[in-house]
Amino acid sequence: MKYILLMSGTRAGVEAYHTWPKQDIEAHMAVLRRISQELTESGEFVATQGLAEPKEAKVVRGEKNGVPVTDGIFPESKEFLLGYWIVDVPNAERAYAVAGWISAASVNMPIEVRQFATHEAESR
Amino acid sequence: MKYILMMNTMKSGQGVPEWPRKDLQAHIAFMMAVDKELHERGELVSAEGLSFPENAKLVRAGKDGRPVTDGIFPESKEFLAGFWIIDVESPQRAYEIAAKVSAAPGPGGAPLNMPIEVRPIMSGPPPEML
Repeated sequence: MKYILLMSGTRAGVEAYHTWPKQDIEAHMAVLRRISQELTESGEFVATQGLAEPKEAKVVRGEKNGVPVTDGIFPESKEFLLGYWIVDVPNAERAYAVAGWISAASVNMPIEVRQFATHEAESR
Repeated sequence: MKYILMMNTMKSGQGVPEWPRKDLQAHIAFMMAVDKELHERGELVSAEGLSFPENAKLVRAGKDGRPVTDGIFPESKEFLAGFWIIDVESPQRAYEIAAKVSAAPGPGGAPLNMPIEVRPIMSGPPPEML
């Protein structure tokens, strides 16, 4: 069963992270790298990515003629996706365990855990 | 350049929308055609739909490192409904694809014009952190 673990935060939270001492950021990154390595070794790792800063985010809509209309204005309270992990695990409990592990490595940030829709649902 | 295109939904939008069956089928066929075209152009990295928000959990590590799960979210929270990861030449091309997905057909075949959040993906941690 595939799950995506989503780490989100506000712009203010991202700015606070940038003020961490270098050694704390390095320790945080080291634990995240170790988690990816262990998930790879257990065969549960599918993918992980960090996203670029919220200031580079755009929201796009199609106009009547199909031309993209971009907007970069978001409410202060908006939570932006900071990064994600995709894991392939036997059950939800294992997905929660991995999310707990990532949370512990990341100042107990909440991690949203979502299952992928099955292809049966998509081909309806 | 890699980008993620995120389609979000509100908590109230649970379950498959109550559209006429043919409209749902047209919507799904449109999305499948977009994926096929992106794949043929070599721009598609991955695309996934997520299960509905009722199955979402928020997890934190407890003091002993064990996961603490919670399923309570504010009404205003936006949930990720699905995403595309694309590898394209320019941000403009990413916006074009986002606009195409945005205009997917809804009830009666009218374009939904959903907002699609477009974010560059980092190629890796900053070099000074390694």
